Amino acid sequence: MREEITYGTVAGYGLTRKSTIWETLTSERYFKWTLLIPLIILLGIFMVYPLLYCAYYSFHQWGMRGDALYVGAQNYRQLLNDKAFLESLYQTFKVLIICIVCELLIGLGLALLWSREFRGENVVRGLALLPLLVAPLILSLLWNFMFEYDFGAVNIVLQSLGLNKIYWWSPERALYSICFITIWQWFPFATFVLVAGLRSLPKDVFEAARVDGASPWYTFRRLTLPMLSPLIMIVVVLRTMWLIRLFDPLYGTTRGGVQTELLDWMVYRTAFIYFDIGYGSTMAIFSLVLTMAICAIMFRILMKALGGTK
Amino acid sequence: MGRFGKIIFWIITLSVLFIIVAPLAWIYLTAFKSPNDIFTTDVKKLVFFKFTSENFQRLFREFPFWPNFVNTIIISTTSTLVVLAISALAAYSFARWNTGRGHLLFTTISTRMFPGVVAAIPFFVLYRNLGLLDTRFGLTLLHIYFNTSFATFLLYGFFKEIPEELEQAAMIDGYSRVDIFRKIVMPLVRPGLAVTAVFCLVWSWNEFLFSFLFTRVAARPVTVLISSFWGSIEVQYGPMAAGAAIAILPTLVIAWFMQRYIIRGLTFGAVKG
Repeated sequence: MREEITYGTVAGYGLTRKSTIWETLTSERYFKWTLLIPLIILLGIFMVYPLLYCAYYSFHQWGMRGDALYVGAQNYRQLLNDKAFLESLYQTFKVLIICIVCELLIGLGLALLWSREFRGENVVRGLALLPLLVAPLILSLLWNFMFEYDFGAVNIVLQSLGLNKIYWWSPERALYSICFITIWQWFPFATFVLVAGLRSLPKDVFEAARVDGASPWYTFRRLTLPMLSPLIMIVVVLRTMWLIRLFDPLYGTTRGGVQTELLDWMVYRTAFIYFDIGYGSTMAIFSLVLTMAICAIMFRILMKALGGTK
Repeated sequence: MGRFGKIIFWIITLSVLFIIVAPLAWIYLTAFKSPNDIFTTDVKKLVFFKFTSENFQRLFREFPFWPNFVNTIIISTTSTLVVLAISALAAYSFARWNTGRGHLLFTTISTRMFPGVVAAIPFFVLYRNLGLLDTRFGLTLLHIYFNTSFATFLLYGFFKEIPEELEQAAMIDGYSRVDIFRKIVMPLVRPGLAVTAVFCLVWSWNEFLFSFLFTRVAARPVTVLISSFWGSIEVQYGPMAAGAAIAILPTLVIAWFMQRYIIRGLTFGAVKG
């Protein structure tokens, strides 16, 4: 009997102690931070650790075996004189600009076409959005097959139309073929963001412009485009984020060959094919700083654009 | 729009749809072709050919398609559940209290811009030492990492839509913060959770870089298997198309039924399409 009471008290004591910690965690003051604990732990592990790791090894020479050799800033010096690396940087920006410009132009054209509600709209939208959620890797394998020289569907159709077959993966064309695949998958994205934008524009302003006798081109340039600009910015920012890290379409097609080596592929090749962790880390750090700089600017613009739509 | 305008409208619309849908249909056509019909140069045979399930039979017999498919399912569902738990808490905190005054939210979202290869190098070495390479657990962890920022940002938008007055009213009724979150906020944000979950599932389903670098045999997801058909000694177009046909089917179905939410999801909640 006596024992039982003691046991009960201890357990009860334990409970109250626990609840004070719980009370602190859920108190008005700390609750907002408590909610963030899992996220902060996750970010700590998956962001801070790789960052410190890469920063450390970027000053070393290490091939995954044996001891790392401290080499100072030699990796960085090598990087800035590395023709292949600078070339990949140039190619990445080329892809970035080609894809974003094409997606926006196609998207704007189609958005203007589809901006008014029409019958069959749900079917059109449903079909047009299909490629967006399909794995980019699988789509690149698909296009690789369709662009095959001898028995690819595209060349067979071209030939049956009496045109010449095209060697899609030649060194001059391969990069553009990859751009094409990406644009093909993503132009519906730009299109429907802009459709959403066009549909939310205030009607009375356009009515007024029409009454005042403004030409369609003038209305488009002076009214539609400026009012759409926050949405155009959203497309540019998000596409930059994704395109700067383009990797999957390369794996499915050229695997970095025929002058299509982009930034992330370069890092991948150095670190995971040549196992040059030191130099790979240097590239990774460089690519990270570059991405962060671009994205910090982009994020500012995006936040402003978001303020514009709400 | 006059009659002429309407005709032009539908000609353009239908050709655009053809350009989008034809390549996807091509996967399904190729999947049911015999090798002879795959390697044909006859334009008629592109569409008219004898149906065969040979490619599917080869895929199931000669390649570990189903085990890899199961890997994909396990990895994507587990990672999605964990991601939802972590990001729902965090997104609520960001939406209600603007915790960290935007800096923390920016840090979170910037992991999405983090080059995957930067994380891949240290984790490859770490995983090798811990014996986590080629395990579903290891890959799931990485998928949790790359989806959390996206989910947090998307959910942030959904939490923002819940009026604060509701919570204040509940506080007057004597609800604690935890009760408010569990009994009032969570039920209201359920549609948002569903949308976020579907997107996380899709990203994890499609993810390639980490899957490809961190798995070999045991934990290999289906995307990596399909990529392996191209580039070995000969290109296995038949099984590749058959595998792709099955692997992309869930994402196509999701895209069709989620069409109202795709733009919202892809713009991190910024544009309500």
